[in-house]
Amino acid sequence: MIVRTFCIFLILVGVTFAQQRDIRLPFPFNGVYEGEYHFAVEKPGRVQGMSHYGKDWSRDAHLLWDGEVGAKLELSFLVRFDSEYDLGIRLTKAPDYGIVQIYLDGAKISGPIDTFSARVELASLKDLGKHKLSKGVHRLQLKLVGASQKAKPYKQEGRFLVGLDYLQLTNLEPKSAGKMPEIELVHVDYTELHKVLKIYCSDCHHADRREGKVDLESLTTAELFLGDLQVASKVIGALQAGEMPPEGAQQPSPDQKSQLVLGLQNYVDQRLASQESLEPVVMRRMNRLEYNNSVVELLDLKGDIYPLPEKVIRSDFPYYQPIAGLMPDRLQLGNRTLGKNVIEKPILTGVFPFAADLPAENGFNNRGEELSISALQLETFVNLAQAVVHAPEFEDYCNLHNSLFVYAGSDDPLVVARKRLSFLLEKAFRSPVPEELLSRYVTFFELHLKRTGDFQRAMKDVVAAVMSSPRFLYIIERAPEEATRQRLSDYELAARLSFFLWNSIPDDDLLKLAREGRLSDSSTLERQVREMLLDPRSQSLSQNFARQWLRLDQLVTAVPDSKRFENYYSRIGCEYWKLGLQSMLEPLLLFESIMIEDRPILDLIHSDYTYRSEELHHWYRAEVPFKNKGERNRFLPSYQQFNRMELNDKREGGVITTAAILTMTSSPLRTNPITRGAWVAGVIFNRPPPPPPDIVPEIEEDDAVIEARGLTLRQVLKQHQTNQSCKSCHARIDPLGFVLENYDAVGRWRDNYRGGLPIDATGELFGEVRFDDIVSFKEALLERPEVFTRAFSEHMLSYALGRELEVSDKLAVDMIVRNVLANKGRISSVVVGIATSYPFRHKQMVEARNHSE
Amino acid sequence: MRKLSTINRRKFLRGCGTAMSLPLLDIMLDSAKGDDDVAPKRAAFFYIPNGVVQDRWQGESDGGEFVLSPTLEPLQDLKEKISVYSNLDRIKVAGTDGHAQASTCWLSSAHPRELSPAGYPLKRTVDQLIADETAKHTPFRSLELSCNPYRDNKESVYFDNISWYGHGHVAKSMRDPDKVFRRLFVVDENKVSSSILDLVLEDARSLQRQLGAQDLRKLDEYLDSVRSVEKQIKRVEDRKGTIEELQLEAPTVPWPEMERHQYIQLMGDLMVLALQTDLTRVASLMVAPERWSTPQKVDGLFEQPILHHSWTHQQGDDRVRAELARLDRYHVEQFAYVIRKMLSVKERHTTLLDNTMFLFGSGLSSGKDHVYTNLPLVMAGSAGGAIKTNRHVKSEEGTPVANLWLAMTHVMGSKAESLGDSTRALNLS
Repeated sequence: MIVRTFCIFLILVGVTFAQQRDIRLPFPFNGVYEGEYHFAVEKPGRVQGMSHYGKDWSRDAHLLWDGEVGAKLELSFLVRFDSEYDLGIRLTKAPDYGIVQIYLDGAKISGPIDTFSARVELASLKDLGKHKLSKGVHRLQLKLVGASQKAKPYKQEGRFLVGLDYLQLTNLEPKSAGKMPEIELVHVDYTELHKVLKIYCSDCHHADRREGKVDLESLTTAELFLGDLQVASKVIGALQAGEMPPEGAQQPSPDQKSQLVLGLQNYVDQRLASQESLEPVVMRRMNRLEYNNSVVELLDLKGDIYPLPEKVIRSDFPYYQPIAGLMPDRLQLGNRTLGKNVIEKPILTGVFPFAADLPAENGFNNRGEELSISALQLETFVNLAQAVVHAPEFEDYCNLHNSLFVYAGSDDPLVVARKRLSFLLEKAFRSPVPEELLSRYVTFFELHLKRTGDFQRAMKDVVAAVMSSPRFLYIIERAPEEATRQRLSDYELAARLSFFLWNSIPDDDLLKLAREGRLSDSSTLERQVREMLLDPRSQSLSQNFARQWLRLDQLVTAVPDSKRFENYYSRIGCEYWKLGLQSMLEPLLLFESIMIEDRPILDLIHSDYTYRSEELHHWYRAEVPFKNKGERNRFLPSYQQFNRMELNDKREGGVITTAAILTMTSSPLRTNPITRGAWVAGVIFNRPPPPPPDIVPEIEEDDAVIEARGLTLRQVLKQHQTNQSCKSCHARIDPLGFVLENYDAVGRWRDNYRGGLPIDATGELFGEVRFDDIVSFKEALLERPEVFTRAFSEHMLSYALGRELEVSDKLAVDMIVRNVLANKGRISSVVVGIATSYPFRHKQMVEARNHSE
Repeated sequence: MRKLSTINRRKFLRGCGTAMSLPLLDIMLDSAKGDDDVAPKRAAFFYIPNGVVQDRWQGESDGGEFVLSPTLEPLQDLKEKISVYSNLDRIKVAGTDGHAQASTCWLSSAHPRELSPAGYPLKRTVDQLIADETAKHTPFRSLELSCNPYRDNKESVYFDNISWYGHGHVAKSMRDPDKVFRRLFVVDENKVSSSILDLVLEDARSLQRQLGAQDLRKLDEYLDSVRSVEKQIKRVEDRKGTIEELQLEAPTVPWPEMERHQYIQLMGDLMVLALQTDLTRVASLMVAPERWSTPQKVDGLFEQPILHHSWTHQQGDDRVRAELARLDRYHVEQFAYVIRKMLSVKERHTTLLDNTMFLFGSGLSSGKDHVYTNLPLVMAGSAGGAIKTNRHVKSEEGTPVANLWLAMTHVMGSKAESLGDSTRALNLS
């Protein structure tokens, strides 16, 4: 599956050490520097696959080098954190291998190590001691100091080989080391807090007026305040974000405000800690991406069963290799939406994807409450399963074909089928297989075997039945027998993990851990999560999580006015293309590079690099993007070359300022600051605005018309906010949209409106920071990493759980956020934090059957 | 964009035409016992999103002489077959989006106290309540169609559906006419393995004892669906011969390549075919989903893609309002097309239209301010004489639209005393 050679060649460039400041080195986030992946190597270093010598070598390969006695294998590698590390090395032993001595940054750190062996084997892990390493590039040297007398020279006298499987760095600094920002425990007596609330809030929030259905005046005791934790959290959130008290109203002093927020939060946190409540997750049906991935995993298919628009990036080349630790600089990629045919050709004859499930509002399309099944869909599932196994291409497409469907030999076919099914059912249903369940399927097989007399046919029928069972189609967690809350079983945890990280059922390794009951062990769990992130299947976090989180699908149907934004379109022959759609790849590639290189999630706010095609680069920079029409007509619809490029200006970089986001949040003839603001509020801050009000003022759809009146869009919007309720909400949304007003309706920078009116992009964040433009806006966010970290973690936790987050999840989110901040915001720490969090590892059931129809 | 081949379309329509010249009902009704001379009653719904331009929708006259408003003019020649209802309302419940609630709760109009966990006043919708009565006679319980043209999955399930089995349990609509055709008329291709159904039913039942209350409800959806498909298989099999005799041909052009009116009309054709062949007696067609502020092409009507939802909020501008009214009228024209189709289907001494109650409406009266009062409602057909046509029924202000829903279930034989927030059944005769 992994095309290893590709990654390797990128790194095996002859570089001198002087240059190494400039080259990008991969970084393995599990601390295992694979010889074949993670070093900058000079020739004659090369990679050798080792699987034919046994299964011992990590990732089935090592780095091979040869030299004369006295020569050194020079390797450089990247360290991310200043810390003390325990170093260990694993070398290969073989008949023509020499004696090596190891140097770190010029200092000898080992005695002579003889790597001679009569047969090719892996040496045990050699401890290289503890070393303090600073952040940056370090140099490892393996000096060939001689050879055993028994060793055969390689090619010529005095020349021997050295094989490096991996170098292991174990960070000795305790995980939760001092850097973690502790919760500020502010205990203020509630009566004091209520006095402040009364002064600043009760004008609107008193018993008679109850603005926003909140009456704060009457909440005179802590007990009353904590009576509705949702309201309590809403109050704290609004204060914290500076949304309340509204603009123009009397404001508390910064000290008063922070005391109020922390004091109230302290009450809420204590209550949450003592309640230990947890919101249940509703059993959910797979969506079509999950169904595809699960069938591929179950039957070990060579590819997808149907084309999935969900997979936006198309590539013949498996470029997404997190184990490489480095995203390639150049990529040839296509965008499925640029493929002209709306209906893509089927992959397997007669196999079509079922209808896409729509996302929850401000959420994802994996929530049980919204994933139901009707007669029509049930029909679809049963027919789809049969279509897959009976597709004419199936035999060649299924790697298990012989071992699962073909009967050879003289054993009782029923015994054979029973054995095969017991494995298959465990994997398909992600649970142990009791005899009753197994025999149900074996009986079915027997019946079909009798009816058809054809083993293969009967096996296909039973597999289709397995794929139609609710145990396959739903992600099911067994109700605890006594308590209403329990830790997940190992199998259930395995399924949550694989659906979270791979959108699929557990693979054999994960299933084995579950079967052996080892997954619930915290350190095994964490190791497993990292291992799963290193697997190419973790790309589904980009394909599915990132795409939905960024709401990128909305770009597909954006139609910038074809006259004013002529360049968004192109024509090839008589065919008509939306050239601008290739911008859809930019934020996804940024996300993938963050995944592969385990970068800080704040790179999503601002990154000093991005991936763009030539055309896309012109899009941002040139007066006339995509050059002239002649150029555009040469545009290749099937793929473009995307290059990593450095950015040195905060007007670009991160996701917010990409053409994709800016275009999809605009109208055909102008920007739409409210849509943009709502996007930023929901996606970046995870504080989506409430449903729009019933009375929405009219604003011209063409900014040319507005400008002709000598007004800017901002002035017009302001004029329309006549009543207080409009104002308080828009005071929150609008600045988040206007900060992007320097980007036109297709995402290109402008200093002024076309008519020459100046753009006003100023605003205020969190009720305390003024910003002038997008640059200072991004800086404000970067200076407060906890804000985006919390929002991002909440989005991802909600995705991982398949439900909306509730107040009761707050403490878990707090913990994830603290952990992420302590880990420099690395994306792996978000994922690990979620996978090891309390809500992720526990299940909760509702006791009573409620809401029955 | 490639134009729809007129030949292909004609071919399909010829298929329908052939079918229609047959005394279809006689063939199809061989299984329908009961009064031989009485054709069965059908119910159908035609939903338009985002409300209508009120001053064009409301006619000049009220009561008295029945005069069609400008938007309803395309129904002029059908005037004797229709009835217009006004002053029927739904109560909006705060907390969910005005558009999502408009479509999702339109046909259930649950009491504001009866909220689903997601906060919608949503229960089993009236079409499904009617199907509870009619499903025993037909292969398919009901038919849900949608001409949602968008591919950007922008909005949630609540904006995209009007038919629900219960809260959280959507009667998912079909968008692809080809799939609709195959499901209804290509018997063998669509045959669901009954042995698999038996097995998974047993499997599902054995799961029940492991689940908590909330999950059991989800599993019930699965169990209900299996049972429903089992019945369907048997009944489709019974009708197999007659369905095949029809020799209908599938539409050959993919729907994304069709022009807007062709798409809607083809879905209308399919709905009529399903009703006239008595494959089902309940159908709904959602012309487009609510809100979804995605530009949309309406070929032949507007040169540029339009933003229906945005327009509804800008209708204070006379120019925008005029364009919006054209779109409303366009939707009424599509409705008229389907009515005429029903009228052309002879059933005994009457027509399909005479035996159907075919309701056109929206969950919003005006999209401008998300108003739920005085919803636009036009009924075509008389459901075998149960509904008096050629009139405007103006109710007292504040009458729940659920009163109309309740009356419609009565027409289909229900004896229910209330439905949603109804106060009493509306008098239809």
